[in-house]
Amino acid sequence: MDFTFSAEDEAFRAEVRAFIRDHLPKRSGQDQMDVEEGMSDLPALYKWNQDLHAKGWVGFHWPREVGGGGGTISEQMILKEEMARVKAPMLGLSYMGLAWVGPALIKYGTQEQKDRHIGPILRGEVQWCTGYSEPGAGSDLAALQCRAVRDGDDYVVNGQKIWTSLAMWAQWMILLVRTDPRAPKHLGITCLLVPMSTPGLTVKPIKEMNGGAMFAEVFFEDVRVAVANRLGAEGQGWDVTKDALANERSSIADVWALKHRLEAIRDLAARRTRRGRPAIEDPGIRQRIARMETQVEAMRLNGLRFVTKQLRGEPLGAETSINKLIRARIEIESGRLARDIEGSFGILAKTSPHAVDKGRWQKVMLSWPPFVIGGGTPNIQKNVIAERILGLPHDV
Amino acid sequence: MDFGFTPEQDALRAQARRLLDQELPLERILAWSAAPSALDRALWKKTAALGWAGLTVAEAHGGLGLGAVDLIVLLEEMGKSLCPLPLAATDLAAAALGALGDGAQQAAWLPKIARGDVVATVAIAEGSDVPTADGVAARAGARGTDVTLDGTKLFVPDGQHADLLLIAAREGAGVSLFAVPADTPGVTVRPLVVVDATKPAAEIALAGAVVPARNRLGAVGGAWPTLARLVDRQTITHAAEMVGSADAALRLAVEYAKVRRQFGSPIGRFQGVKHRCAEMLCDVESARSLVYYAAWAVDHAPDDVPSYASMAKAAASEALDTAGEECVQIHGAIGYTWECHAHLFYKRGRQSHVWLGAPDEHYERVMTVLQHG
Repeated sequence: MDFTFSAEDEAFRAEVRAFIRDHLPKRSGQDQMDVEEGMSDLPALYKWNQDLHAKGWVGFHWPREVGGGGGTISEQMILKEEMARVKAPMLGLSYMGLAWVGPALIKYGTQEQKDRHIGPILRGEVQWCTGYSEPGAGSDLAALQCRAVRDGDDYVVNGQKIWTSLAMWAQWMILLVRTDPRAPKHLGITCLLVPMSTPGLTVKPIKEMNGGAMFAEVFFEDVRVAVANRLGAEGQGWDVTKDALANERSSIADVWALKHRLEAIRDLAARRTRRGRPAIEDPGIRQRIARMETQVEAMRLNGLRFVTKQLRGEPLGAETSINKLIRARIEIESGRLARDIEGSFGILAKTSPHAVDKGRWQKVMLSWPPFVIGGGTPNIQKNVIAERILGLPHDV
Repeated sequence: MDFGFTPEQDALRAQARRLLDQELPLERILAWSAAPSALDRALWKKTAALGWAGLTVAEAHGGLGLGAVDLIVLLEEMGKSLCPLPLAATDLAAAALGALGDGAQQAAWLPKIARGDVVATVAIAEGSDVPTADGVAARAGARGTDVTLDGTKLFVPDGQHADLLLIAAREGAGVSLFAVPADTPGVTVRPLVVVDATKPAAEIALAGAVVPARNRLGAVGGAWPTLARLVDRQTITHAAEMVGSADAALRLAVEYAKVRRQFGSPIGRFQGVKHRCAEMLCDVESARSLVYYAAWAVDHAPDDVPSYASMAKAAASEALDTAGEECVQIHGAIGYTWECHAHLFYKRGRQSHVWLGAPDEHYERVMTVLQHG
């Protein structure tokens, strides 16, 4: 065991810190879930994206040949950790483009597709959304039914997608459709790249329980997509959307976001009272805070074990689901704990003029579901752990 | 950055696993727990010959000179087997001698410990609390060039098997530590009847026991700062055993859930069972990460030790207490029969949960460190 970094890595860390000192935009967002606040100063974020891109830090884990940064696993972790430590905005504006589209393009795209899309994603010029989930295909994504039929040089798409994040702002969608209804369900799926301006495509925002709308339903009525916009071969769609690039898996950015939140909860507990004393002196409150701190610390150290496997070139499998489960617990419990510390003020909605900390804690309490449900619910994570790590039988 | 083990540590783990599987299968632990008898000295000598007893003892004194991380590799494996050998207690005594003893004291005891000729332990606690300086009421009084010891030490790990007792006693304004051979007149060691027979503990009554003043380790009344660090070490090594036990309890439950069929299917197919197993794995791996880091901190980041010892113990306590309990439940009715091994893990969990501090005490310390550094 050795928790020190090489001289090269430490030099890189110093470079990141110097960059942050010179370029970090002022920002009001308190939590990672403040997407709306985080997007409020678009010119500053655009400048941030350009500055990052000049360093090669947008798409940092992508190969240099395609314009990525070619960052090593440890450099990726350092970059994310240093950025998260200072609550920096995301490492690139084209969030879904960076998370889903770029990696798929790099592995399966034609030269023409790469030339057309990767640059704008890295420069933050184009927003993407992902057309994956459907009303009848959530946890069981491979059951998707949105249909595409070949017609000359086009596919004609009919059907519906749902829970499509950022669809209202996106110019492009990476879409999974069923092209062969007779094939086994994972094999009949094809991936298409679709301009959101295509006739027949309609976006309908979904209002969430916190009052905001980051998701949408997307409807397809005879939407024509050129075969040239197919990513990978017909029937290869399921594989296409699996990120196969060497992305570090420490979950360090999430860990720092949670650490910041717990720090703010301690601060809240020092300002609110219970039975006439600061809430932070209340034994019950102290137990709950310390237990969550312990879980975040475990999450950090679990992540370092995962990264160690990556650094050693060992296969990393389902164990990263462990941190997703821990994160889900903390996302939920932190909102509940903050509400309890607020006491009677916990009944106030975030828009109330009397709301504590401008309603931050109400937002935390009402905004965890996308982080907990998206990308696999806790129940799905438990299935993954039970089946792939413990070897228990599949339940379907 | 490397949060993993070296090939040597992997080899040590494999060696421990082989030996424990051969010598102490759970059937033997089960039989032994029904009628706990004396320490198996032959087995202790055999492990000492492999270097276990002297693992962290300096090479100059016949040990391997390894660190806390190497030690917890062994202890985690011992925890999986519920191995009752007094390794953690003996290591703690060796660490106390290494930290407080002078050259003569170390030369007198450490080689014998490393060879397996002497089993040793440290007696600090007297009451229900996590050991503190104020909690030491046993007294040391000067009598010429000798010291007399009076009082009662409780919950002394493996006290009934130890040849050498390192006893904390109040002397002057502070706490001193004395090396006391177990056969010293005035020393009475009584085994405690405990829930988990595989984790022995003893009461030590001191009634005018006399040892030469040269058996004092360190300065008069000056042992506490070192003892406080040793309590943290003990907390971490115990948490390492607990992580091993929790892992084994989970595996036992999982293997049963794969073969036990009800409603035409292995019960491990039902989410009521498999999700509990997944949650247990999450808790076991988290406790494991905390234990590994805490053990590393012992030798490399001493400032981190108090808080991480507490986080590790709290997490390990919760993980094992739950895993033992679920292991019984997932086995159904067979799970609470004597023949099934589940109760061994359940008892280990219920006992270890409170020994050296229940989670609430450790969370309180975590909070104190967060607030005051």
